[in-house]
Amino acid sequence: MDYEHSQEGALVRRAQSGDEAAFREIVERYQSKVFSIIHGIIRQRNDVEDIAQQVFSKVYFSIRNFDFRSSLITWIYKITVNECFDYLRKKKVRKLVYESDLSEDEVRRVENTEPAVDRQVPVDQNLAQRDYVVKLLMRVSEEERTLLMLKEVEGRSVEELAEMTGMNENTIKVKLFRARQKLMKAAQRLDRTPVAG
Amino acid sequence: MHQVILDRLEEYLAGTPSSREFTAHLESCPECRTEVSEMQELSSAFGALRASEEIAPRSGFYARVAQRVEQQRPRSLASVFWLDPVFAKRVAFASLMTLAVLGSYLISRETQYSSGPPDPEAVMAQQAPTQDPDVMLATLASYEP
Repeated sequence: MDYEHSQEGALVRRAQSGDEAAFREIVERYQSKVFSIIHGIIRQRNDVEDIAQQVFSKVYFSIRNFDFRSSLITWIYKITVNECFDYLRKKKVRKLVYESDLSEDEVRRVENTEPAVDRQVPVDQNLAQRDYVVKLLMRVSEEERTLLMLKEVEGRSVEELAEMTGMNENTIKVKLFRARQKLMKAAQRLDRTPVAG
Repeated sequence: MHQVILDRLEEYLAGTPSSREFTAHLESCPECRTEVSEMQELSSAFGALRASEEIAPRSGFYARVAQRVEQQRPRSLASVFWLDPVFAKRVAFASLMTLAVLGSYLISRETQYSSGPPDPEAVMAQQAPTQDPDVMLATLASYEP
């Protein structure tokens, strides 16, 4: 049975036709997963709920455009990851505006210490590493970011990714390989960037 | 990177035991070895993005989502009036004032036109020199060449 005609496919079709109860069921089914994805990327407890609300609001307004080519959770996962990176980008811009009276060197340094933890003085090793990966992921496309996250963070196999996205396994392998190459280049550039001592 | 590595790269990075062919190529190809090693290092860094603890949504999460949906729903003109009666009253008052001003202006213009523009004969009579016969006769009688 294809996804569109599965039980979840029927739930999505109900939500697409404006059934509020179906939308509520989708929220309740995936809210924990969405919270967990956001917390992994953002780590700001206070902002997790706000971003999660925004994710489900986007799900509500875009569910009519869901075309069943991927599974619902893959689609929600993509919206969630994008929302997190939008949040981090806005946060970075706010930070730059606030520090606009700094010298050019200082601004350059701030741009490379995103999003809040200085690499030279890690409050926590894990947080510093999280910032590093987030910074690298900002240099790849939305699709590459989602695939990398599903593979590396969620631990999905190439077969599962093919099933979830509707692409064939070779396409997934090639896309992941190119995304990894971009990450490597971004890492090389980042490591060459001077940071404050 | 060579095809033999590319084919099995994702399995290798996920920790699946690699095939003999894969390992043999990696040992003999320094270029692939370096690239795979760098990719492996980056792959392990992703662990930092896994949530270290479960954060459960506070109760009433769906109600708050529904509230946000309502806030972000594109509002129709009718719903603007329905949702904000004070605004609706102000718009109604402003509309009445505009109507009153416009109405009085139109009425004043109507009054001005009701006297009507002078007809052509009247205009000619005003503009032509005096044609009164008595006046003309008196003028002729007093004429001295």
